[in-house]
Amino acid sequence: MLEDQDMSVQEAAAIVQDARARARKELVISAPLVYTAWGLVWLLGYGAMWLSVRAQNPYTGPSGVSIAAVFVLAAFAVAAVLVIAHRAAAGIDGQSVRHRRIILATWAIGYLILLLVQAAISSSVSTRTLAFAGFAGPLLLAGLTYILASALGRNRPASALGAWLVIVGASCAWLAPAAILATCALAGGGAFLLIAVIETRLRAHAR
Amino acid sequence: MPAENGLDPIIHAPVRLRVVVTLATLRDGDDLSFTRLQELLGLTPGNLITHLRKLEDAGYVTTVKSGSGVNARTSVSLSRPGRQALDNYMSVLRQLLDSASANGTSPHQPGPANPDRISPGQPPGPPVRRSDDEAVF
Repeated sequence: MLEDQDMSVQEAAAIVQDARARARKELVISAPLVYTAWGLVWLLGYGAMWLSVRAQNPYTGPSGVSIAAVFVLAAFAVAAVLVIAHRAAAGIDGQSVRHRRIILATWAIGYLILLLVQAAISSSVSTRTLAFAGFAGPLLLAGLTYILASALGRNRPASALGAWLVIVGASCAWLAPAAILATCALAGGGAFLLIAVIETRLRAHAR
Repeated sequence: MPAENGLDPIIHAPVRLRVVVTLATLRDGDDLSFTRLQELLGLTPGNLITHLRKLEDAGYVTTVKSGSGVNARTSVSLSRPGRQALDNYMSVLRQLLDSASANGTSPHQPGPANPDRISPGQPPGPPVRRSDDEAVF
């Protein structure tokens, strides 16, 4: 294919479709996979914690097994997302790389601050306040990070997800600890999975 | 300069069309390494260089060399005129496919369209850019 070849418009259209599909598959991070990974962490992990506390009276906190399940699921999600992002971003440099670093730094610093605040207030606030900071705090942080990411990348689904997560996280301030876990699992994890389905349909429609 | 069918002859060649469509998937402000582009398109370095040179001469792509030795990197990106040229190319292509569909004829020889992949009444849209669906961690 060194020399120019004559080609019909149909052949050109077929090349465009093929090249576009291949480039999207190889160079674009699969948003549905990323959303599904995080959705499962929230739905299954927080769901497990909720199941372990729903019959508690008085509330004493999630079981060690359910907390471990959240960390194991989160570790799998982080690993999956890193592999997906690394494959898609190989060979790419420029603005999106800088944006990704900003997003990761924001999330990491935010999570560190959240842990420090929890440690600082743990002995002086009510169980309910601590549950809000510990359980809904990460959801609020995720929502704000998605809003930042959507502003940097002009991503409408991420913007909608971020706004929803912030609303859900903030509404947890009025809830009891067990209800916070159920809300984060269903409304938070469910939203991630819903956005994954919407993204999949949008991509299928764009082909 | 457009050919008689209105399609930009710089882009209207199989390899160069693949190159510009692939680069158009990148977000504005991003570039792709020469090696990754070569791997994606399955071309030899010499072949890719030849076509990139034509696109660069037309101002459609920009190549930048950085580093040296084992850290040497050549990056390729679609320029603003290149993106505009691809948008124009897609518009003309769509019009030609539409008119072919309306007339029930092939607008340009040779070769029939593959009916499994392309419907003349539903030509492909513009390449979706990375910024439209950039995933978030």
